Amino acid sequence: MMPSAAVTPESLVGVTGEPLIRLQGVSGGYNGKAVLHEVSLAVRRGELVGIVGQNGAGKSTLLKILLGLLTPMSGTMEMFGRRIRDAGDRAWMQKRIGYLAQIQEPPAIPVTVADTVLLGRWGRSFAGLRRPGAADREVVRRHLELTGIAELAKRDLRSLSGGQRQRAALARALAREPELLLMDEPTTYLDKHARNDLMRRILDIHSESGITMLLVTHVELPGREFDRVLHLDEGLLDRADRTDRTDRTASDEGGAP
Amino acid sequence: MSEIAAALSIPVIRHALIGMLVAGSTLSLLGVVIVSLHLTAIRFTLIHVGLLGAAAGLSLGFSSTAGAFTLVLLASVLMGISGRRMSISASSVTGLFMTGSLAGAFLLLSRTGVPAMEVFGVFAGNILLMTRVDLVLVAVLGVVVVAAFVLAFREIQLVLLDSELARSLGVPVDLVTSFLFVLLGAGVAAALRLVGALLVDAIILLPGIAALRFARGLASALVLSAFFGVLACGGGFFAALYFDLPIGASAAAVSTIILALSSAVSAIQKRG
Ligand SMILES: Nc1ncnc2c1ncn2[C@@H]1O[C@H](COP(=O)(O)OP(=O)(O)OP(=O)(O)O)[C@@H](O)[C@H]1O
Ligand SMILES: [Mg+2]
Repeated sequence: MMPSAAVTPESLVGVTGEPLIRLQGVSGGYNGKAVLHEVSLAVRRGELVGIVGQNGAGKSTLLKILLGLLTPMSGTMEMFGRRIRDAGDRAWMQKRIGYLAQIQEPPAIPVTVADTVLLGRWGRSFAGLRRPGAADREVVRRHLELTGIAELAKRDLRSLSGGQRQRAALARALAREPELLLMDEPTTYLDKHARNDLMRRILDIHSESGITMLLVTHVELPGREFDRVLHLDEGLLDRADRTDRTDRTASDEGGAP
Repeated sequence: MSEIAAALSIPVIRHALIGMLVAGSTLSLLGVVIVSLHLTAIRFTLIHVGLLGAAAGLSLGFSSTAGAFTLVLLASVLMGISGRRMSISASSVTGLFMTGSLAGAFLLLSRTGVPAMEVFGVFAGNILLMTRVDLVLVAVLGVVVVAAFVLAFREIQLVLLDSELARSLGVPVDLVTSFLFVLLGAGVAAALRLVGALLVDAIILLPGIAALRFARGLASALVLSAFFGVLACGGGFFAALYFDLPIGASAAAVSTIILALSSAVSAIQKRG
């Protein structure tokens, strides 16, 4: 184990692969009150990283910052090798990110599953007067199949079960063909069977596609399947190397060394 | 039938028909927005603000339409800006606006001694007093509403379905929402002019609700809304001519019947 108390991007020096996410001393929160305290985090291209933390630890807040939905109060943020400072940078980075939100509320108006998946491609291949084309429909079809909901394509999203809606949301995030996939509690509200099934799919998709994935949750993760599992506790991100493939025993809670 | 043809040769009546058809086919699209963004309380507030504006217009001696448009547009811009926060306390804000606006309207009207017939016109509409300018305004608004849905269909769809998702994809959610609010304000003010404050929903809301009972997506919801809107406004207009009824009330009656029938039909469909 390395003696440093927190992961810094420097801890990745000498490791192959460029960092896709590079946060340094990032604080963030709401109404001037910080929820995340000087978080430093680096994620390499192709990694599958989990972040575990209790309710209210700041997991969703961290994802909102990475998505550009929340502006950091301090610190620096680099995504895909570019410093993110203004709205232009955020728009640039949002094209490259797929996002699976914590809660999939059924919408107030009808939408078919295929159409909701298609919307994940907004800003990639269509926007405004640029309409989706045959290629987009093909991408949608592929990802409906990949997530195992091809037979639900024509169904109204509102008529789906929670687990099916979650898969539709995953298909939508993947249909963006993102370089980075951010997932907020993708399996938390599912029953055991659906949870295992979805986690299996996520792991398979990761190993097949090589998309960089960051998953946050408050439940235990199958640590051995992840490249790294980090711990977020009251807005402080714990060291990165505690749980990785060479140290599978330390997936439980514990203080810094 | 020849009576109707004769009636249509009168310019005022022709204007009224065109106004109703344009409003029915375009302003009715806003009902889908009201339902999906949960703006029923907000549209209620806008109607009452419109009443106050109309009363102010009458009291100050210029047109009730100008007064209603000004105040409603102002209110919808303000609501669009304060956006999210509005919906949290929507019911209390609505109560405040509603009672306050009505009180203000009645006080203004009684103080300045506006003739009762004109006051009635504000509540029940007075479509036969439509001027050519009014008609052009309604038509322009109709074109803007339809153009907005055509030009930014996917953006509006995303905002209506899931604004957080839309934001994460990079959709300018605040811009789209503010614009929809302004359209809604203008639509309410225009409907107020056509059918009066009490019957605004007949054009703005009911066709949309009926459409959403059958639609499978946003596009079909919009097309169906327009269809029901035209049916209500056109059907109401001719029924009014034929049976010698007030046009606004007649259109509202047809609109109500459409909603009742579509609710019944969709209930039967769901069971079968
Ligand atoms: N929109 C908001 N406005 C103000 N405070 C917020 C907001 N969203 C979250 N918070 C606060 O920030 C803290 C972290 O919230 P966050 O949603 O990031 O936690 P989380 O780790 O995702 O929790 P959970 O496991 O329940 O999803 C909490 O104390 C929460 O109350
Ligand atoms: Mg959360």
